[in-house]
Amino acid sequence: MSAVAENTAAMQQPDVKDLEQFLFHEARLLDEARWQDWNDLFVENGEYWVPASHKQPDPKNHVSLIYETDLLRAVRIKRFKHPNAFSLKPAPRSSHMLSNVMLDEYDAEKNECVVSSRFLMLQYRREEQDVFGGGYTHHLKIEDEGFKIIKKRVDLINCDAPLGNILVYF
Amino acid sequence: MHYTNEQIAALVKEDKVHRDVYTDPEIFKIEMDRIWGRSWIYVGHESQVKNPGDYFATSIGTQNVIMTRHTDGLVHVLFNRCSHKGAQLIGDACGHAKQMRCPYHGYIFDTAGTLIHIPQEEGYAGSPYGKGKDESNIKRVARVDSYRGLVFASLSASGPDLRTWLGGAALSIDNMADRSPQGELEIAGGCFRYVHDSNWKMFVENLNDAMHPMVVHQSSAGTAKRVFDDLGMEQDKVPFELEMLSPFASDYEFFEKMGLTAWDNGHSVTGGKVSIHSAYSPIPGYAEALIDAYGEEKTKDILSINRHNTVVYPSFTLKGVITSIRVVKPIAVNKTVIESWVFRQVGAPEELFQRSITYCNLVNSHANLVGPDDQEAYHRMQYGLETKDDNEWVSQHRYLGADEINEDGEKTSTGTSDMVFRHQFETWKAYMTKEEAA
Repeated sequence: MSAVAENTAAMQQPDVKDLEQFLFHEARLLDEARWQDWNDLFVENGEYWVPASHKQPDPKNHVSLIYETDLLRAVRIKRFKHPNAFSLKPAPRSSHMLSNVMLDEYDAEKNECVVSSRFLMLQYRREEQDVFGGGYTHHLKIEDEGFKIIKKRVDLINCDAPLGNILVYF
Repeated sequence: MHYTNEQIAALVKEDKVHRDVYTDPEIFKIEMDRIWGRSWIYVGHESQVKNPGDYFATSIGTQNVIMTRHTDGLVHVLFNRCSHKGAQLIGDACGHAKQMRCPYHGYIFDTAGTLIHIPQEEGYAGSPYGKGKDESNIKRVARVDSYRGLVFASLSASGPDLRTWLGGAALSIDNMADRSPQGELEIAGGCFRYVHDSNWKMFVENLNDAMHPMVVHQSSAGTAKRVFDDLGMEQDKVPFELEMLSPFASDYEFFEKMGLTAWDNGHSVTGGKVSIHSAYSPIPGYAEALIDAYGEEKTKDILSINRHNTVVYPSFTLKGVITSIRVVKPIAVNKTVIESWVFRQVGAPEELFQRSITYCNLVNSHANLVGPDDQEAYHRMQYGLETKDDNEWVSQHRYLGADEINEDGEKTSTGTSDMVFRHQFETWKAYMTKEEAA
């Protein structure tokens, strides 16, 4: 991929405003627990990855807090509604806030781009609230009807700290 | 309250334990002294301090220690405290240092803990403190030994030697190491440190509790199978994630048959020849690598052992097939950190290691699909036992009187028996009622 600055002439380069709206929309789907609608934002076998160490190079040779493609995302999403998923009763709630959205890379040939942003997420369940924060890296496919997620990487600033339960998607 | 030995002994009956063993901070303090301060405790693996100067900071119970490899090649376990004013000497988790320099006044120690430099040393002229004086060195823990690369330490100078103490649990460690064609393991791929708001014994008990999976893990294991069918994935290409999750919802009969075995000093295991890890697909090239190294017969022996969870009481549990361990770090009476580590089987196909990584993501991570439901059970038990109603006791009646002793002198029972819990608390009581270390 070539750097954004060299591609200023490309007509299809996505507008950061549109990218922001997409990311805000994604965050809203998560906060409203519309898990299936959120999952539909991914391309087939799109990756969702939360590394467990700082600057972790890959998800195969090092443990990850979450590394999921279609099957595991579908399991987790179905579990949200399972009557006997005891750790999800009462249901967790979340508030995702994101900012500092920047278009880092744009590939006109493939019609793909990489967008980085910073986020804060509050997770609440049964009288306990946790604060998580860090960076998002979205690798997106640009389609006529909007964006699709090829990969979403979530780098928590405390990814290697002792942590309790993480019950919702970042 | 202050406990006499008689009062401690009265907390453990043949068929039940008093709720205070899980909730009383005073009991927790005594446990740190008499169990975690006397038993062999897992500290780390030799591969974490491969070269002289490598260090790994960790804990034994609530005591902070450092495991180092000294220039003589030996592994030492030192208390993480400067001999001068007590500042923590090593402040990060692991690293490499030829010398350890205290960040407060700059006193310097070698990696065996010997004081080698004091700024303005003349100030100690005629003093009992100073270089060459033993009390000025970093204190070492009383005993250190290793088994197949796993380093253990004991804060007590007396007690059984490590091999004797491990008893039948040694076979679980042997089998984990033998699964490498070179008989060698190395820690790799990072670590989870999962905070539990519950007493350490609840986790240790749960690892051999075969009555809970079909209840607690129904929502993950059962769901995984249904999702696989719904997604219309090819039935002959079952992904490892599904092979791994599905057996958690096996029926009672399966878990009864897995059986339980216990050895002296509180150790125990679920499964032996069959476990929830038995039906995994073979990894291409792995059996061949083992046969090249060991021959057909020994390879068959190694792979025929399929233990589920081995509890090495009190400080860790291990899974040989997954080559991973979970290390218990008691923090307070109602707070425990569980560390999960993965071993690479040196000389085995990389795919085997990556499968262990996947397993740990799915079962040991903070965000996994199985563990939060276990944690919910512990939380509710911790919460429930804080309720000081008339029922002071936690039941351990299941299959009481049905334990058997086999020809090897091991205690055995059907898989869902409370035998292991009774066995753990028999050990607990023995440690807790001995005033002085044996």
